[in-house]
Amino acid sequence: MTKQHVWILVLAMALCLQGAAAERKLSVVVTTPDFGAIAREIGGDRIEVAVLAQAAEDVHFVAPKPSYITKLSKADVLIEGGAELEIGWLPPLIEGARNTKIAAGQPGHVACAEGLTLLEVPTELDRSKGDIHAMGNPHYMTDPVNARHAAEKIAKALVVADPQNATLYQERLKAFSDRMDEKLAGWQKQLEPFRGRRVVAFHNSWPYFASRFGLKMDVFLEPKPGIPPSPAHLAEVVTTMKAENIRVIVVEPYQNRRTAEKVSAQSAASIVDFTQYPGGVKGTEAGYIELIDHLVTALATALSDSGGTGGNKE
Amino acid sequence: MSEALEIMKWPFLACLLLPGILVYMGLHIVRRQIIFVDLALAQVAALGICLAILLGHDAHDWQTTAWSGCFTFVGAAILTLTRPSGKRVPQEALIGIVYVVAAASGFLLLSRSPEGNEELRRTMVGEILLVQPAEVLRTFGLFAGVGIVHFVFRRKFLLLSFAQEQGKTEGVQLWVWDFVFYMLFGIVVTSFVRMGGVLLIFSYLIIPAVCASILAAALRTQLIIGWTVATLSSVGGLYASYLFDLPTGAAIVSALGLVLLLTGVGRLVLVKLAP
Repeated sequence: MTKQHVWILVLAMALCLQGAAAERKLSVVVTTPDFGAIAREIGGDRIEVAVLAQAAEDVHFVAPKPSYITKLSKADVLIEGGAELEIGWLPPLIEGARNTKIAAGQPGHVACAEGLTLLEVPTELDRSKGDIHAMGNPHYMTDPVNARHAAEKIAKALVVADPQNATLYQERLKAFSDRMDEKLAGWQKQLEPFRGRRVVAFHNSWPYFASRFGLKMDVFLEPKPGIPPSPAHLAEVVTTMKAENIRVIVVEPYQNRRTAEKVSAQSAASIVDFTQYPGGVKGTEAGYIELIDHLVTALATALSDSGGTGGNKE
Repeated sequence: MSEALEIMKWPFLACLLLPGILVYMGLHIVRRQIIFVDLALAQVAALGICLAILLGHDAHDWQTTAWSGCFTFVGAAILTLTRPSGKRVPQEALIGIVYVVAAASGFLLLSRSPEGNEELRRTMVGEILLVQPAEVLRTFGLFAGVGIVHFVFRRKFLLLSFAQEQGKTEGVQLWVWDFVFYMLFGIVVTSFVRMGGVLLIFSYLIIPAVCASILAAALRTQLIIGWTVATLSSVGGLYASYLFDLPTGAAIVSALGLVLLLTGVGRLVLVKLAP
C-alpha cells in the first residue's frame, strides 16, 4: 500500500465515522455527579453521560483508573467545574486521553465556573493557609442559581456538539430552569425562619449555599481547608458552639463522621448528613433539584428541632 | 487491544524498562537477608518528598528530588554504619525502626499539609498509570548509569553480598563498597518511589528475586528468571488493570504475588514428583 492509499483509507474512515456520529448518542464525560445529573436533564436520551468521581468520594482527590482515560479519549464533550476543584487529577487524565475535542479551549471542554463570580478569591496565595484555590472557593454548585448557570453552559456545549438536536436541548434547558426557579422560591421560604443562624461544617464547602439561604456556615472542623482536625482546634470549635449556641453540624460522606460525633457529643449539636452530589446521601439520587430539596428539608428539620438561636443575635 | 496499548503505553514501558535493575538489586538484598532495607530506604525517600511538599514544592519539582535524595543519603549512611558485626542487636531491628519512624514522621509532616492524605496515598501506591514519558526516559537513563557502575565494579559488589568471608580475607574495604551499594540503591529507590510508590518498588525488588532463589542457585540463572517474572507480572498486572479497571500499581503488586504463589506451588509439586 502506498502512502496515498493510506491517506485515502484514512479519509474514507473519517467520513464513515462522521456518518455514524449522526446516529449515535453524544458522549458526555463529566467530572462530578452534579454536572452529570444536570447534563442528563438537558441531554435526555440523546446523550450518554459518564461520571468520573463517585458521589461519596472526595472530589479534591480522585484516584486515576484506566477507564477514566478511555472515557475521556472517546468523549465529545467534557464538563468540569473549572474552579480548580479537579486540578489534582483531571489535567493528567486529559493529557493521557489525547482527545483534541476536549482539549482546553475547545468548545467540547466546558468549564461551568466561567462567567461566575466566585467567593473567597484569595488576595495572595499562601499554602500555609491550607488548601486554597487561586480562583476562589470551588464549591459553587451548592447554590442553585449557579447550578442554573452551569445548566446554560452545558446546554450551549451540547448544541455546538450536536446542532441537529439544538431545539430539544434548549427546550429541556428551559424546562429545567423554570422548575428550578419555582423550587428556589420554596426553598428560600423553608429556610427563611432560620435566617442568620450559624451552622458548623467539616470543610468549607458551603459558603454559596449559606449565602443563598441567609445562613452562616463559617465554622469548620478542619483547622484549615484540607488539614485534618487537631484536638486543640476541635476544643476551640466546641467552645464557639457553646458560646453561640450553634446546634447543627453538617458532614459529607467522605469526611470523618467520628470527628463530628465527638464534637456533637460535647456540644449537644445534631449531625446532618450533607452532600454536594446527587447520590452522596440516601434520598438524593434522582437529580440536582432533589438533592437541594433533601438538603434544605434536612437542615430545616434539624434547625427547628434544635431550637437553638446560634448566631441569631444581630 | 490497540486502545489498551495506547492508554497503557507509558506505564507499560516504565514497567518493562525500569524493573531490570530493581530485580538485580533485589537478588543482592535477598542474599544479604536485609529484605526490609528497601522498604526502609523507600520510606525515607518518601519522607524527603513529604518534607519538600510541606515546604511548598510540587511533587515533580527538582527541589523535591533533592530533598528526597538527601534523606536517602542519610538513610544509606545509617544503614552502612549499622552493618551487623555479631552484636546483640540485629540489623533487621534497626531497619525496621528506620522504616516505622520514617513512616510516622511522614504522617506528622503531612498532617500540616493541605493535600497530605492524598500525598500519603501517592507515596504508598504511586501513580504509575499517569507516568510522564519524559520521566520514564530520564529514569531509564539514570538506571542505566547505575547498572553500568554495578557492572564495572561487579566483583566488589558480588563479594559484598555473596562471599563476605572471602572479601574479608582479600582485604577489600567492605564498608566503602557497602556505602556505595546503598547510595546507588538509594538513587534507584528515590526515583522509582515517585513513580510507582513504596509498595510497587518493594514488590519489584523482592518478589522476582525470591522466585529466582526458589528455582535456581546460580546468579546468572536467577537474573534471567527474575527478569522473566518481573516482565510477565508487569504485563499481566497492567492488562488486568485495564480489563477490570483496577488501580494500576496495586494490580501489578498482586500479579507479582500470584506469580510467586504459582512458583512456590510448582516447585513443591516438582519436588514431590521427583523420586
